[in-house]
Amino acid sequence: MGAQKKPAAARVRDDSEDLTRQRLQAIVLADSFTTQFRPITLERPKVLLPLVNIPMIDYTLAWLESAGIEEVFVFCCAHSSQVIDYLEKSEWYSRPNPNLLVRTIVSPKSTSVGDALRYIYEQQTETSQIQGDFVLVSGDTVSNMPLAGLIQEHRDRKKKDEKAIMTMVIKKDSRLGIVSDQLFIAVDPLTKQLLHYEEGTARGGDVCLDKSLLDSTVLVCNDMQDCYIDICSPEVLSLFEDNFDYQHLRRHFVNGLLVDDIMGYKIFTHEIQSSFYAARIDNLRSYDMVSKNIIQRWTYPYVPDINFSGNRPLKLGRQGIYRASDAVQSRSTNIGASTVIGYGTKIGNGGKIFNSVIGNGCSIGSNVVIQGSYIWNNVTIEDGCEIRNAIVCDGVKIRAGAVLQPGVVLSFNVVVGRNFVVPAYSKVSLLQQPTTEDSDEELEYADRSGTADLLSGVNNLQLESKASELGPDRTGYIWEVCDSAHDEEWKHSVIPIPMDKLADITRAMDDDDIEDESVVPPSGELKSDTDSINTDANDDYGYFEREVEETFLMAIIKDDVDHVIRLINSRRFAYNMASADCAGAVFYSMMRLAVNTPHNSASELYRNATTIITKWKGVLGLYLKQTDEQIEVIMKFEEMCEESAELGPLFAQIVHFLYDKDVVQEDAILRWGEEKAGADESDKVYLKQCEALIQWLKEASEEEEEEDS
Amino acid sequence: MHPAVYKVGLQYLSGDISGGNARCIAMLQAFQEVVKDYSTPPEKTLNRDMAAKISSCVSFLRECRPLSVSMGNAIRFVKNRIAKLPMTLSESEAKAALKSDIERFINEKIIGADTVIVKHAVTKIRDGDVLLTYGSPTAVEMVLLHAHELGKKFRVLVVDSRPKLQGQLLLRRLIKRGINCAYTHINAISYIMHQVTKVFLGASSVFSNGTVYSRVGTACVAMVATAFRVPVLVCCEAYKFHERVILDYSICSSNELGDPNAISKVHGREDINYFDGLTNNANLKFLNLMYDATPSDYISMIITDYGMVPPTSVPVIVREYQKEHLL
Repeated sequence: MGAQKKPAAARVRDDSEDLTRQRLQAIVLADSFTTQFRPITLERPKVLLPLVNIPMIDYTLAWLESAGIEEVFVFCCAHSSQVIDYLEKSEWYSRPNPNLLVRTIVSPKSTSVGDALRYIYEQQTETSQIQGDFVLVSGDTVSNMPLAGLIQEHRDRKKKDEKAIMTMVIKKDSRLGIVSDQLFIAVDPLTKQLLHYEEGTARGGDVCLDKSLLDSTVLVCNDMQDCYIDICSPEVLSLFEDNFDYQHLRRHFVNGLLVDDIMGYKIFTHEIQSSFYAARIDNLRSYDMVSKNIIQRWTYPYVPDINFSGNRPLKLGRQGIYRASDAVQSRSTNIGASTVIGYGTKIGNGGKIFNSVIGNGCSIGSNVVIQGSYIWNNVTIEDGCEIRNAIVCDGVKIRAGAVLQPGVVLSFNVVVGRNFVVPAYSKVSLLQQPTTEDSDEELEYADRSGTADLLSGVNNLQLESKASELGPDRTGYIWEVCDSAHDEEWKHSVIPIPMDKLADITRAMDDDDIEDESVVPPSGELKSDTDSINTDANDDYGYFEREVEETFLMAIIKDDVDHVIRLINSRRFAYNMASADCAGAVFYSMMRLAVNTPHNSASELYRNATTIITKWKGVLGLYLKQTDEQIEVIMKFEEMCEESAELGPLFAQIVHFLYDKDVVQEDAILRWGEEKAGADESDKVYLKQCEALIQWLKEASEEEEEEDS
Repeated sequence: MHPAVYKVGLQYLSGDISGGNARCIAMLQAFQEVVKDYSTPPEKTLNRDMAAKISSCVSFLRECRPLSVSMGNAIRFVKNRIAKLPMTLSESEAKAALKSDIERFINEKIIGADTVIVKHAVTKIRDGDVLLTYGSPTAVEMVLLHAHELGKKFRVLVVDSRPKLQGQLLLRRLIKRGINCAYTHINAISYIMHQVTKVFLGASSVFSNGTVYSRVGTACVAMVATAFRVPVLVCCEAYKFHERVILDYSICSSNELGDPNAISKVHGREDINYFDGLTNNANLKFLNLMYDATPSDYISMIITDYGMVPPTSVPVIVREYQKEHLL
């Protein structure tokens, strides 16, 4: 395959030299400008993370080389020194007669693709490195598609039409699975011109097309995958320079061009054949999928048993087991299908390893179970550990008997203590989780010395702070899931999609395909608190309530009343809820918080509840202007009491407290009492609790009336 | 010609109904329709006239696609029942009796037999087994699914061959149930046989010298398995057994020839066109065989509704079984 390609590339090279005297050039962005791989990317740039034991950037460079590219500019910003170090030591620099010239461009200040391209453009005026059309890819691209024909096609088109400045590669039926971001595009079926581009549209969601598009034939598809491989003309750089607010290549640049009809620039698409592979690793799930694809050899010739970038090839055995020749393994270990074992790795007795990638120089004890995981280099795993669907970075030590539950990410040099169970989806790093919402890029850009300082400081830090999280003799911090998108975690982890989620998606996709009702969800399914409360997730109000709760909890951390009111109002309009619903949801969140705050006795719980109510009654009061809304709150509370045994006995006390604090008026309580009087006997539990209160209120009001008269 | 028979015949022709059991059941159900709508013409007896009627249906079906041995057995059964109908019965009684007989045959000899086979075969699947199957045999599929339901841990290798690629359908159904599968073509059989612990095959029919007559390629799989000392288990309902003896394994007199175009062209690959302009050449013949015969030497065991028997015991079953169903 490779042998076939090269002559073709060479031929095109001759042609193009005749015509334009241009070298084939590519820009590789060695920074993702995202935070999907944190905390790992705090210590090492994403492009150097091993993908089946070979740094990602090697896949990209090897592919570009075989595709006939002669000069590559690797654009580094975060951890630039690491990238340059790596490249200088790698085969790309040391080769005597390179087909591919690798140069680096460093710009630590760039925080987005837009910045990067603007920087290159500025450089351009001095050095004029970029001579013509170039290929723009990200350093985490894995592909084996030929580029020569594509570039030629782009040039021919450019010659005919000055405005055709970019060709974008798309692919049908990606092997990345169904959860990768939804893409919705509209293309002219004849010229392949891109007419509309929309990312992240929910399945079944509405997409708005410009009316003028419908004058001619339009091909609309949502089954395409954007490979993030673009052939660009030099105009692209100047366009970024002109529009200084362009940051994101797709969201801003592509959509900007499509909307802007003054300049009339055009973007074209090229669909690659299904026999070629192209994918980008933009989150942990695609990391998992691409790794599996490499092991299953869809990316041939970039597979572990072939030397393509100075890597030492592994031996391929039956059932897709790749093994280094010097790996030491006990005969009693059970190595299952699709497993990679790197150089110098030792594996003890009686273990069970399957569907996993194990890096170089690891030592694995006896009776270890490793399933669907990515163990990088020099990791020590002691006897009896259990690791499922986790990513374990370089230098990690896992002490005997520890268990990593699905979805765990252990960053560099973390130590997990004896028999410690790392909870599902947790991310553990030696670096503390940044609490401020700074821009991601600055954080990813932590230069070498700073990292070292932090690392040395860790030993002190952990003693005084909450670092007992990992059991005795451990180091590292468990990162909290900061996003409200906790529910989305499953989408972006290396765990196979839980069966129930899968069923949801497939059901959404087509209604014919629900046969597997009997499937049992795997044990590694996500169970967050919010899930267990809300059984009826389809309910709009359920979503609303959950969002309000999340907003509320976030606000408590920030301690900002105005902010939370604003947020809740926006949620309210988004879901079209009445203010009574808001009140109910806010009160619900408050009581949840009270219940979730650690407490030992009912009185402590009561105290918790009262402090929270006192503090946040301002928010609540906003939605409680009318008696109806107050009644709603009391009913909501009643519902909660039925669910939670702890709250039940406190019902009357808390209602009384609400009355004292003027959150609820007496009218509301009395009317609630009247409404409930007619209810079933079973419904009256809480009414009875409140009888004394109601009685007292009635008397009080009568007295008042008497006084009035 | 009765429309039900006509419909079934066309479905055979187009390939919509394929697989021994499916074809046989479709035919018998069509016969039930024929019986239901039958009325004896004047001056004729029911027994004779209906037998003639069924014969004409059969010859139509044979035109559409050659009959399989299992269908031949079923037809023999139906004709036998017609001949044995007591003359004393009224027409409606006779029709009802005949219909229930056919119903009984479908339920007992085909559907019931499969459940018994599954019950027997599952006992042969152990945890950690690597099972190989070829094509898309329905009985084997049921065995695999049932074993999976019982929670046995095994892998399945589905071996397939052009041009029909029926294995892909089987693979789809197995994967849907969450069975760990691998898929390859028969070219790679000698490589993958290394890891296989048992081979499960289906059969179109079994002859009394133990020869298994099945989808083309089966003999090759069984032969390679025997060379690797891997047991070969054939799942076959007893109604497909036949007393005939086949000695010449390479050419079966009753073999069916498929469409030669199916092997001269590769679907979806226009670049493979080496036969262009050669298809009418007098010196060139395309042979697209549908079936082949596996000698009993390569079969370890035949799993039938009468239990698990070695291929040498087939004559016993044929003798006993034939007696029973011709009653």
